Amino acid sequence: MNRRDFIQWSSAAAACGLTPSAFANDAAVTTAIYPGSWEEAYRSIVAPALKRDAGVELRMQSLWAVDQIAKARAARGRAPFDTFILDPGPRVTAIESGLFEKFDASRLKNASKLPAGMIDAHGVNVAGQFVGIAYNPKKFAKPPTGWKDLFSEPYVSRLGLTGFQTTFGTVSIIEIAKAFGGSETNVEPFFTELKKVLPKVAVIGNSASMPSMFQQGQCDVMYTNTQTVGTLKAKGVDIEMVVPSTGLIAFFTTFHIAKGSKNVDNAYKFIDASISTPLQQQLMASPYFMAPVNSEVNLANAGLPLRSLDEMKTMVQHDWTKINPLRAEWIERFNREVAR
Amino acid sequence: MLALPLRTREGALVVPLFVAFMLLFAAPLVLLFGISFHDDPELERWGLLTWTKFVQDPFYWKATFDTLKLGAMTVVAAVLLGYPLALVYLSLGARGQRILLFIIIMPLLLSVVVRTFAWIVILSNEGVVNQTLLALGLTAAPLRLLQTELGLVISLTQIELPMLLLPLIAALSKLDRNLFDASSILGASRWRTLFKVILPLSLPGLIAGCTLVFASSTTAFISQSVIGGNRLVYLPLLIWQQTSVVYNWPMAAVISVVLLCTVLACLFVINLMGRKSMRYLHV
Repeated sequence: MNRRDFIQWSSAAAACGLTPSAFANDAAVTTAIYPGSWEEAYRSIVAPALKRDAGVELRMQSLWAVDQIAKARAARGRAPFDTFILDPGPRVTAIESGLFEKFDASRLKNASKLPAGMIDAHGVNVAGQFVGIAYNPKKFAKPPTGWKDLFSEPYVSRLGLTGFQTTFGTVSIIEIAKAFGGSETNVEPFFTELKKVLPKVAVIGNSASMPSMFQQGQCDVMYTNTQTVGTLKAKGVDIEMVVPSTGLIAFFTTFHIAKGSKNVDNAYKFIDASISTPLQQQLMASPYFMAPVNSEVNLANAGLPLRSLDEMKTMVQHDWTKINPLRAEWIERFNREVAR
Repeated sequence: MLALPLRTREGALVVPLFVAFMLLFAAPLVLLFGISFHDDPELERWGLLTWTKFVQDPFYWKATFDTLKLGAMTVVAAVLLGYPLALVYLSLGARGQRILLFIIIMPLLLSVVVRTFAWIVILSNEGVVNQTLLALGLTAAPLRLLQTELGLVISLTQIELPMLLLPLIAALSKLDRNLFDASSILGASRWRTLFKVILPLSLPGLIAGCTLVFASSTTAFISQSVIGGNRLVYLPLLIWQQTSVVYNWPMAAVISVVLLCTVLACLFVINLMGRKSMRYLHV
């Protein structure tokens, strides 16, 4: 093929509509998804069901919540995907940055199966996350009973600590601060107590590596979510979850439609499938352990610390509109306090 | 000859590459510098506030120093381990060289994430190193290797070693073996031949390798944060936090510029020292 042929053929192809913008009209939707078990679960359970039932192809970009926001902001508010998957902290940031389309619950057939308060004008809850204290039952005579225990022996010298970079890390530290007299907006007692025990703490690290650290015996107690405990248990790791005396922490992972998405219809179909009873039931089972939001899901034998979704209301929840403005300062403070 | 001036028509052929280079490489750098001179995360006010905050804070100075120190330690460890290995390569036959080269390249075929997590398994309390030491009775309790500078340097040395070995082996292979024989015929011992003949002649390869190892280990975000943990604070971790968690892009840009400039300055010094020592040798 010479240069002229190439130009002619490529013009013809462009005229036939084989341009990138034409792909946007295909029956497809691109969602951001958390790397790891979320990506695996959605690839193996949700994608085939969506293709089969709605004829929509699910494409995924694996990104953590903070990376989704960073990408959307870098692209001047136009995310390179159709739906966001977020935790409460980044969710509030995204709302403040105007990154979502207005969410219309009436476009979801399964909306009525969700308990009240699970859908708002910004998005819909898709999974619950329950955070508590995980420990190795073979290493301690008796389990820790509350957040305060983490900073005393025998637990502190086997503790794996993570900072404010993740949602579960932030809310757990707030609970530790509360146990020592702090509050949702005052984590000073946490830093005061941390200073006293810092040399003893077994691991202070990054949240992504903490399950590996636990698995390798580098630490034997940590704060984490039920999903991580389920996954490690399924691998044969000695791990149990303790409900702290003040209760488990609950928060939700949410789906949102990105501002300027060209596949809004398909995005609603995708979200609707994700909250449907059969898929929620499958996502809850081993090896994914995602706590459902659909009240028709049978919670028996799920290994979740609740019998009905109503119990979530009694769990400890946090107001991220208050936490977010303070978080940058906390992160910097944490860096300085723990640095050698 | 290459030194002939290019004619205008031939010079024009370079234009697309030049434009691509300016757009894809120079423009982002200009943007990075531009963002660093903003006072607020919304990028609305120009100013020197972020730079002032960085410069006046000893915490950032220490993180910068620690990052460069980590690079230097990894370079030293990689040279001490890699140079003898390169000499072994030189002494092997063609078949042995192929096998050794494959072993050297093999780690590059694995993702750095996999290699980093493998080091958790090796260095942890229940890992191979600690279990061997315990079984041999050399230590009563597991040694703390993870989340220490020592553990990080050990793992980075393994991860970055191919970067040093490949240019070094290329340089050593090009050497004329007759020079080694001439050296020994003239009465030099094997050590003297190594230090006076082989080492100086392999310096360009060694410097290229050190440059790659230094640049790569100072910016190895995954290994630094996973193996080093949060108690060892390096600049790449701070850049990630400011970009993706705190969304303070001016501060992220300032730290990036500092990392870029200090690493470049160190590389310049390494190259300068190399060139100086080569000049000295040829006098």
